[in-house]
Amino acid sequence: MTQPETLPQYWLHNVHRYARQRKVAVRQKELGIWQPYTWDEEYEHVRNFGLGLLELGFQRGERVAIIGDNEKEYLWGALAVMAVGGVVVGIFTDVTPKEVEYVVNHSDATFVLAGDQEQVDKLLAIKEDVPRVRKVIYWDEKGMWHYNDPWLMDFRDVQQLGAEVAAREPDRFPEIIAEGRGDDYAMFCYTSGTTGLPKGVMLTHSNFIYAVKAFGEIDPRFDTDNYVSFIPLAWIGGAALDIAPHAVDAIILNFTEGPETVQQNIREIAPDALLYNSRLWESLVSTIQVRMIDSTWINRFLYRIFLPIGYKVADLEFEKKPVPLHLRFLYALGRVAIFKPLLSQFGLHKARTTYTSGAALSPDVFRFFRALGLPLRQIYGSTEVTGGVVAHRKDDIKFESLGKPLPGADVRISPEGEILLTSPGLFAGYHKNPEATEKAIYVDENGVRWFRTGDAGYLDEDGHLIYLDRMKDMIELASGERYSPQYIEGRLKFSPYISHAMTIGDREKGYVTAMITIDFDNVGRWAEKRGLAYTTYTDLSQKPEVYELIREDVERVNRTLPPAARVRKFVLLHKEFDADEGEMTRTRKLRRRFLAERYADIIQALYSDADSVHIRATVKYRDGREAVIDTTLRIETIGEAG
Amino acid sequence: MATQSVQLSIQNVSLSFGRVQALSNVSFDVYEGEILAIIGPNGAGKTSLLNCISNFYHPDEGRILFDGHDLTRTPPHRIAQLGIARTFQNLALYTGMTTLENIMAARHIHMRSGMLECIIYWGLAHREDLRHRRVVEEIIDFLELAPVRKTVVGALPHGLRKRVELGRALALEPKLLLLDEPMTGMNQEEKEDMARYILDAHELRNLTIVLIEHDMGLVMDIADRVVVLDFGRKIAEGTPEEIRNNPDVIRAYLGQEEEVFW
Repeated sequence: MTQPETLPQYWLHNVHRYARQRKVAVRQKELGIWQPYTWDEEYEHVRNFGLGLLELGFQRGERVAIIGDNEKEYLWGALAVMAVGGVVVGIFTDVTPKEVEYVVNHSDATFVLAGDQEQVDKLLAIKEDVPRVRKVIYWDEKGMWHYNDPWLMDFRDVQQLGAEVAAREPDRFPEIIAEGRGDDYAMFCYTSGTTGLPKGVMLTHSNFIYAVKAFGEIDPRFDTDNYVSFIPLAWIGGAALDIAPHAVDAIILNFTEGPETVQQNIREIAPDALLYNSRLWESLVSTIQVRMIDSTWINRFLYRIFLPIGYKVADLEFEKKPVPLHLRFLYALGRVAIFKPLLSQFGLHKARTTYTSGAALSPDVFRFFRALGLPLRQIYGSTEVTGGVVAHRKDDIKFESLGKPLPGADVRISPEGEILLTSPGLFAGYHKNPEATEKAIYVDENGVRWFRTGDAGYLDEDGHLIYLDRMKDMIELASGERYSPQYIEGRLKFSPYISHAMTIGDREKGYVTAMITIDFDNVGRWAEKRGLAYTTYTDLSQKPEVYELIREDVERVNRTLPPAARVRKFVLLHKEFDADEGEMTRTRKLRRRFLAERYADIIQALYSDADSVHIRATVKYRDGREAVIDTTLRIETIGEAG
Repeated sequence: MATQSVQLSIQNVSLSFGRVQALSNVSFDVYEGEILAIIGPNGAGKTSLLNCISNFYHPDEGRILFDGHDLTRTPPHRIAQLGIARTFQNLALYTGMTTLENIMAARHIHMRSGMLECIIYWGLAHREDLRHRRVVEEIIDFLELAPVRKTVVGALPHGLRKRVELGRALALEPKLLLLDEPMTGMNQEEKEDMARYILDAHELRNLTIVLIEHDMGLVMDIADRVVVLDFGRKIAEGTPEEIRNNPDVIRAYLGQEEEVFW
């Protein structure tokens, strides 16, 4: 066989390699038992379904939409569609019939694979509006025993058709697979932009193969690796981390019982690698801590002994300093005694590679998991570049960064401060939308095509990419330079001593300042340890020592910022922001315009030469009483050097 | 639906507790494969009637025939073996056991192994256990209980416990399922889910279902026929449409003729 070019060609290569070896290709938990399917079985399932589609009149190049949970039939359906030269169009399971209609029509899909009754009902609701769809194929017949619309067809019946063809022409399927070319489209991934209609990102087989190989270079995958497939397969993450590596590297995919049992099932499988978004990692920290509190005294004892050692090792590694031998020994002891057993409660004890995606993760979370022996690593990318193209390397983790470009990929920052990405995974364009494609692509002086991410960021001195904000949320200063309020506030809030922060600075104001509220509990505890007497929140917030404490945090954040975006002055407010007073929304987001009006005097002082500001404010207590606060707030100047 | 053979026949059933006449001379037939709802105001005798069918109560008069067996002469523990299962208005589950164990417990009537074989747990007993586990797992799959398979029932919210109870009734593989207010204490979404499960179970297994329910909207949606009781008497019987327009029913519910809210 010649060098494979398409995902099905790689897959067929693996089919031959593992033929008659009883090697497991996928597992699915069915009726409470993990049922394995070998490569031989998978081949039959995929072949029969693919040939069945051809029997139903499917033509090479046509699109097939798939809407369903992560199950073996989704994988087999997708592989079969690509094998017979089709393009897979994934649709998220939670969308409305109207959205299904849009994607099905926009992609000109001729067949739809719909997992279960819920999805089939959506299609039945829009049947009249999707005239091109010849058949809707379902794999979970539950609840549809009496449906008799000939438009619907059972996955197994399609396979039955294909099995008859395969019996007559055993070579037909491999021959069709061999016709595929690397620049054929493999999938259209519809991305729901924040504005406007979803856009269909057209990705080729070469795009996916690059994505698999590039990740393979920084994190080798093995055919004995177990992965749990729970990221939606309609999303680029599922396509690039589950389907494509399964086809190319023969990783074992494990399909859960359902979306609700993912956590339990991960625990049972203990995958070799996994990707959680940052919010999940964050919530896992408290879950683990609660689990420890509820544990036996011996476990609590071991945890108390070894966690500080874990932190010490973690901090040395983050600083890229050598870990002394005795610490290494103690840490190894801790791994065996408590960390591994603890992680195994969550199915994390075998994970070699643990990625985090989405919003920035606080350093505390990085440190916590690293202390337990799980080096979390940020991954960043976009559907338009076939998933992740920037990631932390194992030995080069920086809390504040997204990492460095993968082999073969490149990052640059446009003059406006926008992150541009390029790689062999760069998409061909948006389906039937040349205007949007043109807007999204930037061609540089050497003719290299770059994707405009719409994200603002910069590269630090080590070549790490730092994400700031969406471009549209960046604020321009009088100097014309831009900064991200969200980024600065988010980083400030990583400090345990800061509960909230609001940055100020726009086109009329030359520099950035901040109003900060201290975390009463944590700063209070800190003060008590130092024998610092205080009475109220207001009193504590105005202590020179507290100003000094917060100043350190502000300077730490400033060091990660370009000079123009650094916080020059800050004030510690006399009270916390309060949702009851309309200062925050119920989801604890700042009401900026309201705050700017309410604290106009303070803001004015921040942009004058004053080193303090006098305020008289009415405060409403929780019990309805009102009181007048009459106090002076200090203004701390950091200056340009900070 | 109403053309099939009679599966359950209530014939002139009367029941009294001291001076209280809970049921007086109630008669109706339940056809094989239908969903029949019993409705009526509080204290109308609905649950008493269900208890007579499952032989918790013994009627003073009348007969109840199920597939030719007179249930009033059948001891309660034989009722399940005849193919009748029920759920209760106030849940009756083993709260200290898991979902799986609760449903598995219902399989005992289908188990053949004796005590000795169970102790040795070899051959028949082991094979039997596996077979029953499969039936139970299919029910767990069917009712989407997999996420709580190993959760102790006492820790489950009410709506889920109701579903576990339905699962246990289904594990008996009954021909006739009696549901006593399967949707009480549920919110609208849980009710709709439950209705879906009941309809699916009915469709998949061709079950006959007799249910008591207060939510009129749901009763009218899922029942093939409705029987209305009031003060222990049957005051109406018919399709949901007929019942909706029946002046006696409207009077029983509102005390006077007026537009009814359903």
